Amino acid sequence: MSFDPVLLAVIANRLDTIVREMENTLLRSGRSAVLNMARDFSCAIITGDNRLLASAEGLPVHVIGMEKLAKAVSDLHDDIRPGDAYLHNDPYLGNTHPADHVILVPVFHEGKHLFTAAAKAHQADTGNALPTTYMPYARDIYEEGGLIFPAIRVQRDNRDEADVIRMCKRRIRVPDQWYGDYLAMVGSARIGEAGLSDLARRYGNDLIERFVEEWFDYSERRIAHVISQMPAGTFFGHGCHDPFGPAPDGIPINVKVTVDPVAGMVELDLTDNIDCLPAGVNESETCSTNNVMTGMFNSIDPDIPHNSGTFRRVKVLLRENCVVGIPRFPASCSVATTNVGERLVVTTQKAFADAWDGYGLAEGACGIGPAFAVVSGTDWRKGDDPYVNQKFLGSQGGPAGPEYDGWITYGNSVTNGLMFRDSVEVDEQKYPIRVGEIRVREDSEGAGRRRGAPGTRVTFGPKRNEMTAAYVTDGFVYPPRGVRGGGPAAPSVPFKVLVDGSEVPLPPISAELIASGELVGHLLSGGGGYGDPLDREQDMVRLDVEARFVSVARARDIYGVVFSHEAADGTLHIDLLGTEARRAELRAARRTA
Amino acid sequence: MALRISVDTGGTFTDVVVADEEGNLRIGKGLTSTKRAFEGILAGLAQVADELGSTPAALLADAEVFTYGTTRATNAIVEHKTAKTAFFTTEGFPDILLLREGGKLDPFKQIPYQPPYVPRRLTYELHERIDSEGEVYIPLDEASVIDAIDRARLAGVEAIAVCLIWSIVNAAHELRVGELIAKHLPGLPFTLSHQLNPVIREYRRSSSAAIDASLKPLMQDYLQTMERDLREAGFAGHLFITTSFGGAWRPEEVVERPIYSIGSGPSMAPVAALTYGKLELSEAEASELLVCDTGGTTFDVGLVTGGEVGFANETWIGGRWVGHITGVRSVDVKSIGAGGGSIAWVDAGGLLRVGPESAGSDPGPACYGRGGTRATVTDAAVVLGYVDPTYFLGGRMTLDAAAARTAVGRDVAEPLKMSLEEAAAAILVIANENIVGAIRELTIARGIDPREVTLVAGGGAAGLNIAPIARELGSKRVLIPATAGALSACGALYADFVSEFSTSTYAETRNLDAEAVNGALAAAEARADRFLCSLGDVDLTGSRKDFFVEARYRSQVWELDVPLARPRITGPADVTALEEAFHQVHQKVFAVHEPGQYVECLVWKTRATAVAKKPPVRARAALVAGDGSASTPPPIAIEPAYFRETGSVPTPRYDGELLPAGSVIAGPAVIREKTTTVVVYPGTTATVTSLGNYSLEIQA
Repeated sequence: MSFDPVLLAVIANRLDTIVREMENTLLRSGRSAVLNMARDFSCAIITGDNRLLASAEGLPVHVIGMEKLAKAVSDLHDDIRPGDAYLHNDPYLGNTHPADHVILVPVFHEGKHLFTAAAKAHQADTGNALPTTYMPYARDIYEEGGLIFPAIRVQRDNRDEADVIRMCKRRIRVPDQWYGDYLAMVGSARIGEAGLSDLARRYGNDLIERFVEEWFDYSERRIAHVISQMPAGTFFGHGCHDPFGPAPDGIPINVKVTVDPVAGMVELDLTDNIDCLPAGVNESETCSTNNVMTGMFNSIDPDIPHNSGTFRRVKVLLRENCVVGIPRFPASCSVATTNVGERLVVTTQKAFADAWDGYGLAEGACGIGPAFAVVSGTDWRKGDDPYVNQKFLGSQGGPAGPEYDGWITYGNSVTNGLMFRDSVEVDEQKYPIRVGEIRVREDSEGAGRRRGAPGTRVTFGPKRNEMTAAYVTDGFVYPPRGVRGGGPAAPSVPFKVLVDGSEVPLPPISAELIASGELVGHLLSGGGGYGDPLDREQDMVRLDVEARFVSVARARDIYGVVFSHEAADGTLHIDLLGTEARRAELRAARRTA
Repeated sequence: MALRISVDTGGTFTDVVVADEEGNLRIGKGLTSTKRAFEGILAGLAQVADELGSTPAALLADAEVFTYGTTRATNAIVEHKTAKTAFFTTEGFPDILLLREGGKLDPFKQIPYQPPYVPRRLTYELHERIDSEGEVYIPLDEASVIDAIDRARLAGVEAIAVCLIWSIVNAAHELRVGELIAKHLPGLPFTLSHQLNPVIREYRRSSSAAIDASLKPLMQDYLQTMERDLREAGFAGHLFITTSFGGAWRPEEVVERPIYSIGSGPSMAPVAALTYGKLELSEAEASELLVCDTGGTTFDVGLVTGGEVGFANETWIGGRWVGHITGVRSVDVKSIGAGGGSIAWVDAGGLLRVGPESAGSDPGPACYGRGGTRATVTDAAVVLGYVDPTYFLGGRMTLDAAAARTAVGRDVAEPLKMSLEEAAAAILVIANENIVGAIRELTIARGIDPREVTLVAGGGAAGLNIAPIARELGSKRVLIPATAGALSACGALYADFVSEFSTSTYAETRNLDAEAVNGALAAAEARADRFLCSLGDVDLTGSRKDFFVEARYRSQVWELDVPLARPRITGPADVTALEEAFHQVHQKVFAVHEPGQYVECLVWKTRATAVAKKPPVRARAALVAGDGSASTPPPIAIEPAYFRETGSVPTPRYDGELLPAGSVIAGPAVIREKTTTVVVYPGTTATVTSLGNYSLEIQA
């Protein structure tokens, strides 16, 4: 190693610190719930020549591919200078989907463009045809209707380009909220700029540039080593998004994975998939790439850096005009970060688990059903002010892995447990709604030696004026699957509670008008299990039953654990002999079946 | 003679500080006994008594004030040794404590999900519901309360926490539940969330209430036993307990709200730093301090900003987001997992890493000779010649230098093809960088430029690496108190009486309801006045009340603390001033603000501070040689030490107690104090201040 190894670690750590400084700013000063609650944002540092350098612990779905956004800036502008900031949300130029706005700030030192600081955040509204940032039924980007910014300059000399701001404020719902989030992103990128400028002054351009090459080489060595420890082989993963409109049989997903430990390469091939659909569910090029890569990173050593050096060892094969490939303008990618994207992640991680014991994960809960709806309406308490924002009330289950049970507040596969949940009180204070119930949904977990996390049951509705709830459920027809003998989770089921208290089903994908006195409801799915539930430690089954994750009947029928009695404080006692007999019986029944 | 005694009971050691009227400080260290606080106190007192030719009983009899801090509450939570507690909550929300607020640190790393603070089987749903505007949506069904109480009694619970949705805007239901518990389970401790911590967000309030209730039986017993032991041993003065507010309370107040004893020890380190800073630094320097307290497994960082100890609203036990939040405001002390026990290793890509794995104090670093074999930060310090193996912890422990060399050689030097000393120095650089990164994140998130702060370092290992940390941060000066080894206990000597009182009342500055807001402010102030009145018999030099509001821009969800210039809103000018103050704080913390935007106000607070009479701080004998000229005494030894800049060089060793005030020692040098070691790096100069502390000047 020619570069001082100590300095290598020092500078790498400093870059991650700067990213965290940016993230703190965005999280705490952001306005829309999707930003400040769901943490649906990410920050990254990109090199001056547009390679992803540092992303700390950003959302995988956001971070991978950030370098393409910086590349669009340098491709489209020949007068980039200090004090500039660029606004980008164009899915055909490297962005994830139009609802993610990105602010990119070039960082100069001694006249050289050394870095770009990037802050990306999902907006509460982007001016779509309907009051939601998810438009699954949009036939193309025109029907989507939102504003598209192909890496336009939004600040010069640290001052807003007022024309652009005025345009956005005219065209985006609840414009103050959008502008607040815009400020939060600019603040975040500027805090990154300050940190990076300090770093450049401290070490000088020459050393920084040498560091960059060395860091990419180091990262490449790390992943090459991880791959070299894996078995060799090619395997396939098959998954399916629930049926809807233009895809009455669902959207099949095919992933082909080839691991070559000798060459230290992994190839992820998505070319064997259907063409783009006339709907908002197509993956952008960036989402195709980062979601299949997330599935892979979920399946290997979590400690490796995630940057352009690492990506040298991962080859992603995509084809044009493919639902999980490269969309052809004007195909809509409105829902690219969730739904089909989530399916891509879980199908990939399941493929690893199916191929090799000890690798990969089961499938986690998918979709943004009613518990994650974008709600809109007017607030009588505030002079009938309009509101629009996404709710994050629910909690759906994470997949089991070879070592641990699924993560309970998982969110979905693209956020991987990072996102926060709404506070009932904060939601009720900010919006004219009442939450009826949030509780763990018993027996919704995918059983297994390691079980998936359970889902929840959630209801909420307007207090007075009617409310629109737009949502895109997945996992109603194809619930998350288990692996290696692990069971599937319960499906994700939307419903409505009428004024008289009766419950009626709702369509999986819809924008529903909820009247005063009604509640929109959601039975959220859990995550799939990993390994045979009859191998689960009896005591862990006992704790699951005590926690109301698993019923006594399910413990007996699926896990083969029988209890002798319950103490006054709710502690259960395992009937050891009965359990042994029950497990033997269940195993025997399997053999004869 | 009137003495002041302060004690900090940590997990391993109990630090005892005895101050006399002239400001002479004596420090003793006893081993902590988890059963009875008094045993560790007595052992520490005995050491001090030996030095003075006295007895612990005589010292206690002479003591006017005894101030006590303890990690007992924190340890009980971590070790799951709190009371069997039930959780009463609004029907429909039994999993508040399980689901928390979501969030996790690393997206790719699978970790086990921690169970809720109170298990679901001891959680009882009450049929009732209050709305956000305070209206009763579902009246309290008392039968559901009685049923819950009956089931809790059968389950054998020892405490009950009650948190109902929106109790902060209408407390009627919680109060009635409290009455029913008192009636049907007389004497059973319980906590009502709106009384303990009236903040919005049901998880935070529930978690506060659950933790508080679960500590009540234990802390009541622990503190009452300690007080009885002290009284029986002859103590007749005032007893105070330090709290997470960075001040002291009477024991009965802590027993009433024991959650505030979490972190009562560590919260005193910034108080000590502020006290020393005011005496030793310019006013400007002393108003911006970064307080570092190093231990075996963690490096604790606190802040003084604008001349005040920094506060935080988020304290987690068992990990941020994934553990349990205390939910109450406390002195902002963040623990960084980078202590002397952090393990150094080389990863598969050839990069040197330090931590996050730690050998802790058991088995501890390789040089402890207690079964640890992997190289740690302490082992690196031994290899470099910074730590004297024969004088570790003031000679209480002898270190195995050969084991340290073997470990560093095998784990780091060989794989990286470095010399032993280069490897050891590299370990310290990486360990320092982990700390520097965490400090930067902490300061910048609060709008503080780390280059503009002065560091105050405490803890037994404080002086080993604080100079290079300061240099990397760009700070120019470090103050290391001679009493660094017992910084928290020293802080307790100077602690004021501090408490905060708050009322939740939502208001927007665009149409602010001054009557409602003033009502909230008056309610909080009235409670503050009662707190101050209760200290009538204590020797005070003054008192004050400060007013704050937690506020945010429309649509934000995370609030900022904004100081209020006046105790009430008397007209439009006060509202404008509030908005202006908010814009300024927002600009400072987030680098942007939004002029013209209105502000949402949530919680109105009064902080009451009664200023205690404090012991003087005694000056150290000045540096005057026999002929009247100043000169620094010679070193007690010269031994090699290794620095990255110079390689191995003969390095003078000084005994700190022999250095008069005014001594100037240029690096490289090592100064040995009874409870700490100061490494003066090349390019750094240490000056012994008039009060006998060490001021390090750092060259960029």
